[in-house]
Amino acid sequence: MTDTSPSNVIAPVRVGDEVTPQTIDVTTSLIVTGAIASRDFYIGHHDAEAARLAGSKDVFMNIMTSAGLVSRFITDWAGCDSRLISLQFRLGAPNYPGDQMILSGSISEVQQTGDGQQMSIDFTGRNSAGIHIKGAAVVSVPGLVRETPS
Amino acid sequence: MMSDNDELREQLESYIGRPGAPSRVADDAVNAPMIRHWCQALGDANAAYSEATRTGTIVAPPAMLQTWTHHDRRFERSVLSNDEGEELIARMLADAGFPSVVATDYHATYVRYLVPGDRLSYSSMIEGISQRKQTALGDGYFITTKATYVDQNDDVVGELRLVTLRFRPAASDS
Repeated sequence: MTDTSPSNVIAPVRVGDEVTPQTIDVTTSLIVTGAIASRDFYIGHHDAEAARLAGSKDVFMNIMTSAGLVSRFITDWAGCDSRLISLQFRLGAPNYPGDQMILSGSISEVQQTGDGQQMSIDFTGRNSAGIHIKGAAVVSVPGLVRETPS
Repeated sequence: MMSDNDELREQLESYIGRPGAPSRVADDAVNAPMIRHWCQALGDANAAYSEATRTGTIVAPPAMLQTWTHHDRRFERSVLSNDEGEELIARMLADAGFPSVVATDYHATYVRYLVPGDRLSYSSMIEGISQRKQTALGDGYFITTKATYVDQNDDVVGELRLVTLRFRPAASDS
């Protein structure tokens, strides 16, 4: 089977291995489209003036988009056959337009499973104001030594 | 700031351990167009979401779990049942001057990946409500809810513990 996913996982991973970092441009477009695609119509995510009245300095990223970006960060690295089993995090500094968020993470635990490995990943997403998101994910990766496209 | 005689907090107390939302069936089944919109918005090119692979079907991004049963809260309904703790708490706090909300903590368990055709139902419990706290955004209360998502066979497909802060914007304090 041809694997079309962008993945760096080519060998069994070890505790301490890094997940390929990603830099996310936080734009109004990303915040608004992420909120609407997740059916989150709370005005603070798409109406800047309403967001300011509600106590934010601008529209801010909703939690589903933050979760989705972390999910992408992990599966871009672990491949399209990987499966997230759990995801937990705390949000800190909001993601506002005009900022960048740098996602980084490393493997904290690895378990062999019947058909691959299951690993825990500690991750952090930092923006210019500090830590936007910090938490841990558990992901399973079957096979691990990936089939090469023929 | 914690207060010894916070009447509002005492009223909120009665919601702890009670339903946050009665079981609510998703408006739409898990479907490819919404999955595509999500992937385009977030720039997620994972082939599992767009190309049927060895399982014979695409799967939905796991972080879309909340999306399928999310509902539009912009237009208030006049009548709420006692089981709608999430809405009742939101309304009580808004009326008391805490109209704003941000989510702060997320703990999801994705029991299985969802596929087009899955029809989810959502229900939740109110697990906890903090004392009034001072935060950078303003004074408010942290509400912890535990949501359970079941599929068309009533099997649990995901769980989500979520903490939201409902607050009075600091800028409007005077």
